[in-house]
Amino acid sequence: MTGYLAFLKKEIFEYAKTYKLLILLVVFAVFGITNPLVAKLLPEILGSLVADGITITMPKATAYDAWTQFFKNATQMGLILTVILFSGVLSSELSKGTLVILLTKGLSRTAVILAKYTCMALLWTASIALCFGLTYVYTHYLFPADKVSNLPFSVFCLWLFGMFLLAVLLLSAVLTKSSYGCLLLTGAAVVACLLVNIIPAAHRYNPISLVTDKMGLIKNTIAVSSLFGAVFIAFLLALLFVSLAVLIFRKKQL
Amino acid sequence: MDLAMLREYLPLLIPLVILQFALGITALIHVLRHPAYRFGNKVMWVIIVVFIQIIGPIIYFTLGRGED
Amino acid sequence: MGILEINQLHKRFGQHEVLKGLEMDVPEHSIFGLVGQNGAGKTTTMKIILGLLKPDSGSVTVCGEKVAYGETKTNRHIGFLPDVPEFYGYMTAREYLKLCGEITGLSQTKTKVRSEELLELVGLKNEKKRIGSFSRGMKQRLGIAQALLNEPKLLICDEPTSSLDPIGRKEILDILLAAKGKTTVLFSTHILSDVERICDRIAVLHGGKLALYGTLAEVKQRHRYNGFVLEFENVETAAIFAKSKELQHPSISTTRSGNTVTVLLTGCDLDGHFFLDVLAQKRIVPLKFVALEPTLESLFLEVVQ
Repeated sequence: MTGYLAFLKKEIFEYAKTYKLLILLVVFAVFGITNPLVAKLLPEILGSLVADGITITMPKATAYDAWTQFFKNATQMGLILTVILFSGVLSSELSKGTLVILLTKGLSRTAVILAKYTCMALLWTASIALCFGLTYVYTHYLFPADKVSNLPFSVFCLWLFGMFLLAVLLLSAVLTKSSYGCLLLTGAAVVACLLVNIIPAAHRYNPISLVTDKMGLIKNTIAVSSLFGAVFIAFLLALLFVSLAVLIFRKKQL
Repeated sequence: MDLAMLREYLPLLIPLVILQFALGITALIHVLRHPAYRFGNKVMWVIIVVFIQIIGPIIYFTLGRGED
Repeated sequence: MGILEINQLHKRFGQHEVLKGLEMDVPEHSIFGLVGQNGAGKTTTMKIILGLLKPDSGSVTVCGEKVAYGETKTNRHIGFLPDVPEFYGYMTAREYLKLCGEITGLSQTKTKVRSEELLELVGLKNEKKRIGSFSRGMKQRLGIAQALLNEPKLLICDEPTSSLDPIGRKEILDILLAAKGKTTVLFSTHILSDVERICDRIAVLHGGKLALYGTLAEVKQRHRYNGFVLEFENVETAAIFAKSKELQHPSISTTRSGNTVTVLLTGCDLDGHFFLDVLAQKRIVPLKFVALEPTLESLFLEVVQ
């Protein structure tokens, strides 16, 4: 336990010192601010560009558009950036040999993996919370009248998918030697999830439904309960992958 | 975008501008103080960091920054 | 009972069998030099002791506890210095030692006191820079400091001197010598003069087994040549002695270079008196008459042939 806490502290310190923490927070903050602004301003800018005489009826922007932006940016750019930043989570330590000394000091390998996952989870949670908070405040200000449905639950789904993806990433990092291998394997896992979605019956339980279905959620065209299966499976798989990462890493020759 | 609109949304844009500047300046200071890069030279990184908003500093910190 | 015992250790990488039944015993409070050519299996042996590699068969015991592969509790007795120690470049030496202290579960005050002692010992006390800007020698010294932090019973150093300049080497060896009173040191090297300088025990690893093992004096005694070196006033006298018919004996081999003659005795009960008699008969007084001492180098070359 002391080893876990000490190593967790070191991990957070490392992300701060290597500017990865800064990048994550700034990018998610920028997304948080631009999501509602773009939703609000884009139609107005386009509208003002149109010459007199021609009238294009732009649909009036709503809070729904702001949240569309939020989910689009956070799932695509946001998750991609997160995964890229974390892709060297193990490989850099293993290839340089920084971990060997600490392991020979009695740091348990389980603690290493769990601390690394905890740290990634903390950073992801902070990033998504920051992004959500800013989007929420701005949207509330720009579209005071609008209401969207199921917002907390859809953000929870997005967060959970991130946690699932980080578990995949961690397992990939344990299985491969390089950060590229880790990225490749994580990408392959996402593609696999997308392919599984072709089978209609699997859709309900596929973790990726957590991020593909949320537009329906905030429009209230999809029932919250329809995602319970996917939530359950994502949670279970994340747990399984982290456990597997621990077990495999404990037996890895270094 | 007309002036009235700009004035209306300016307070909302300020935090965004601050973030961009903060990131850009952090990166610029780092570029100048650590002249060892994984590739490229100082002039190139200064240009990238100053003129490409957000993306420039990110690219510098993730790809260009040398070992401490 | 030794602080480290290795029994019948086997390890194979693919087709290449690195360790073939290695047996070793390191007694407490010794400085133990593990010598071998590159690729002889020194690093492999150390990694197995540390539980970083899995042996194919055999066992390792540290302080009476068996080493388990993967998660091993025995590491709490051990301080390890890898051949090229790598640290987190963004930390300072003090920050790194603090992290090590936290991991080993030392109290904060204890860590602080030990860190200052060790940084003093390794000469990094006034170093405020980040580790990223350290030279090779400085990293090596910090490596020793971290290895000694939790007062280990066994200090394992993998080629601590191989990449350093002569001054750096001397510094490292002095630090190891200073650590001898408190801990047992096992270090590998292929620099024989390092071994002669500080080790009291030596093992030569060759062909996956120990080819030579014991205290330095023992090893030299066991491998003492029955031979002598004689130096004469001039070449002529040397030639007279070398060619004398008494020396034309199947168990005596004579080599002369200039005014020096080396005689080797193999498999007979002749000894120094025989040559003294020959000299007396010929009425020759040599300038020097020295029993042949094996050097570590000649021993090493002999066993790895």
